[in-house]
Amino acid sequence: MKPSPRFWALATAVALLLLPVLFPHPFVLSIVTQAVIWALLAASWDLLSGYTGQISFGHAGFFALGAYVAAALSKHLGFSAWLGLPLGAAGAALVGLGTGFPALRLRGHYLALVTLALAELIRLTSQNWLAVTGGPFGIYDFGTFPGLPAAPIPRAQILYGLVAAVVAAGVGLMLYVCHRTRAGRAFRAIREDEVLAESLGINTTVYKLLAFGLSAGLAGLAGTLYAYYVQLVSPTVASAATTSLVIGMAVFGGLGTIWGPALGAILLYGINEGLRFIGVVYNLVAVGLVIMVFVIFLPRGLAGLRFGRARRTIRRDAALSAANRLDG
Amino acid sequence: MLDVDELRSGYGQLEILQGVSLRVGDGAIVGIIGPNGAGKSTLLKTVFGYLHPFGGSITVGGRTLIGLRPDQILRLGLGFVAQAGGLFADMTVHENLVLGGYSLPSRRELEPALEAAYAQFPLLRDRRRQPAGSLSGGEQRALALARALVLRPRLLLLDEPSAALAPRYIDEVYASIVSVNQAGIALLIVEQNVEMILSVAHRVFVLDLGHNAFDGTPAELRRSDRIRRLYLGETGATSWEAAES
Amino acid sequence: MSLRPPHPARSPSAGEREHESPSAAEREHKERALESLLEFLIQGIVLGGLYALFAVGLTLIFGVLNVINVAHGEFFAVGGYLLFGALVLLHLPPAASVMAAAAGTFLLGLAVYPLLIAPLNRRLGRRPAGSLYLVLTLGLSTFMQSSLLAIAGGDYLRVPPLVSGILEVGFTGVSYQRLLVLTVAAALLATLFAFLRWHRQGLAVRAVAQNPEAAQAMGINLARIFALTLALGVGLAGVGGALMAPLFNVYPAVGFPLTIKAFAITILGGMGNLVGALLASLIVGVAESMVVMVIPSQWQNGVAFVVMIVALLIRPQGLLGRATTR
Repeated sequence: MKPSPRFWALATAVALLLLPVLFPHPFVLSIVTQAVIWALLAASWDLLSGYTGQISFGHAGFFALGAYVAAALSKHLGFSAWLGLPLGAAGAALVGLGTGFPALRLRGHYLALVTLALAELIRLTSQNWLAVTGGPFGIYDFGTFPGLPAAPIPRAQILYGLVAAVVAAGVGLMLYVCHRTRAGRAFRAIREDEVLAESLGINTTVYKLLAFGLSAGLAGLAGTLYAYYVQLVSPTVASAATTSLVIGMAVFGGLGTIWGPALGAILLYGINEGLRFIGVVYNLVAVGLVIMVFVIFLPRGLAGLRFGRARRTIRRDAALSAANRLDG
Repeated sequence: MLDVDELRSGYGQLEILQGVSLRVGDGAIVGIIGPNGAGKSTLLKTVFGYLHPFGGSITVGGRTLIGLRPDQILRLGLGFVAQAGGLFADMTVHENLVLGGYSLPSRRELEPALEAAYAQFPLLRDRRRQPAGSLSGGEQRALALARALVLRPRLLLLDEPSAALAPRYIDEVYASIVSVNQAGIALLIVEQNVEMILSVAHRVFVLDLGHNAFDGTPAELRRSDRIRRLYLGETGATSWEAAES
Repeated sequence: MSLRPPHPARSPSAGEREHESPSAAEREHKERALESLLEFLIQGIVLGGLYALFAVGLTLIFGVLNVINVAHGEFFAVGGYLLFGALVLLHLPPAASVMAAAAGTFLLGLAVYPLLIAPLNRRLGRRPAGSLYLVLTLGLSTFMQSSLLAIAGGDYLRVPPLVSGILEVGFTGVSYQRLLVLTVAAALLATLFAFLRWHRQGLAVRAVAQNPEAAQAMGINLARIFALTLALGVGLAGVGGALMAPLFNVYPAVGFPLTIKAFAITILGGMGNLVGALLASLIVGVAESMVVMVIPSQWQNGVAFVVMIVALLIRPQGLLGRATTR
């Protein structure tokens, strides 16, 4: 049995993840740790937009919310990172739930644009609410996880392990919900045909809200991890560039699969950082190109790659379905 | 003038026409009838270039239509009137007609062509500044027909011209169809209303499940026991719904 | 900047000196209040004019192609860069520079449909256009912005005003540069509306917006109309970018905040509705300008979003409803 490209992509990702263990170089550790954080963010976006079909163009906002809440709590109230993590995620989840309500009435581009506006409002707030968010300079000096070793390499490794564990838990949670619970089936039904789902007795309202809350919460969790790792939270975190990057990663990895975008994030971030050696600006050019090329020619992303003649199956797989569902 | 041979066509993976053939002679009225899902509309759309066929051939005067876009096929002398007219509802009657003359080779031909349209359908002249969507069903069909005639096509494709029309409007539409034909224009008409099409057509093709089931003159159709039993019912029902019930 | 409420009127008593000073002070307050009101109103209208150029182009593209052009702001930026190149580098006269910027943006826009949208169309077959195009144009936006950064660098490029001087309007004044923006915007938009209403190709554009299949049956070449419309839409943005270059400066991300605001405006006006976009642009422009009188100016940019969110909750179809270019 010839290993498919999907296998190679997975293998590459696993290899990248193991790099910090094999080569404990601070640069490698830094890249992989951040890559994993992006993986959680991308997967959380996919849960809402790819898997449930509710397009969000404002996930940077939820990410920023988690980061800012955690950082602010730690800086102004002295909360430890262990408290900041769940609280930041909860804050983002609440706002996500709040967004979910008006979103019930919106479809397609309207939803995307409203979420974009929300993220912009969050960015504006973070830029101007000096007392809490530190304005354009952001929040810094709020500490990180307690009890880490002092020596830099082991510190970074343990930190990486921590982050990776939380991310794995998050992604695992999403995969579990999607594949093993009734909620997952409801999400897929809503994505396929919301009217039909409703008429089949699925309470689309509850499940759409659930998707929003869960997705936003996990995006916020990624934000808290970012905050405690990078130890600086500034308004750029909520910028549209962040959302653009996340969507690029998801499209690259394969929409509607949860693990696809996580994988895409790790690979794309790795490539992105690697390309920095060429020149800082060209990596974003590549991201833009990747999004365009993949949307046109490879809508299923990496998750959908397969060698050999495509079999004409009547049953559509998740990624293509999600990609198509992004229409209208 | 139109030759369709072993045409296979459909949507995506779904093959609806599985080898259909028909001919339209110069100046003839040819009808296509058959139960729902038989592929009648699919056939018209494929001929006019909205759908790309999987196989077979479509030629007009020996020249193939396959691979051409609708706007290119239009310039070869074919016209298309979609189900329910395909009018631009928010534009005025006049604007719709002007659009009908969009591909006239010279701007100078537009005025006389519009005049001819108004002459043939006087009711449109009265309504020329009204939005097309505000016209009655029958008037809308007249407008759709007039619009398609601005370019003086040699062959006109009509998709269910009587659909959703009150009976008196149906008579008007078919009177127009006859007079259009008398001017020398060939017509290929897909119809649910079997009685009307049998009354005007020179030749009728029956489609069923993507295949040719019969072709002949209306008289031959009425005489064929098999067809009568299968498609028209003993009672000689006027439409497929009645026959199938 | 806050306006103090006018003092309650006091009954005048002629000849009493102690009443003369307060009423003079009153009048001065009122004059100043009126001055700033007028000033903000004018700024608001000028801003509205710019927004209109931007939003109408965006709406045109959506109405005809059913695509939301997330990269619209990047064409605005390109207009600015082309103006900089023509005016500052090539020393062309201002009028020629603006036209060069417009033409350049238009030509660039012509490439978008055949290179990006048509292939996606082909892949999706008969499926209606939708949010996947949104992702595509998002990619284009990222690509264009970072390409500008790579090619031209991130510095804020300064461009001298195209016209100098200030026009006195009552108690206040508005710069000729801003007036130029308003005038050109008004002229271009009027031309566009006239084109759509009366010109044969404008009729074709409206036909494609209303019913693409019927339009094809009229002999209209869809691809050509799509490409033309897109180029027209982004061309308007490019002109806006060229005209605003002296005011905004030129840098890669200059257009993006406008894009987001334009989304808010188009939703407010009713997606696909050109007149709605025009109206909404003026409303948002004036509102943004005047709201500075009551809230701190850093929050000014949030007005558009709040307006949009409120509008969507109350009346999702926008002020004038979802209509295609009629």
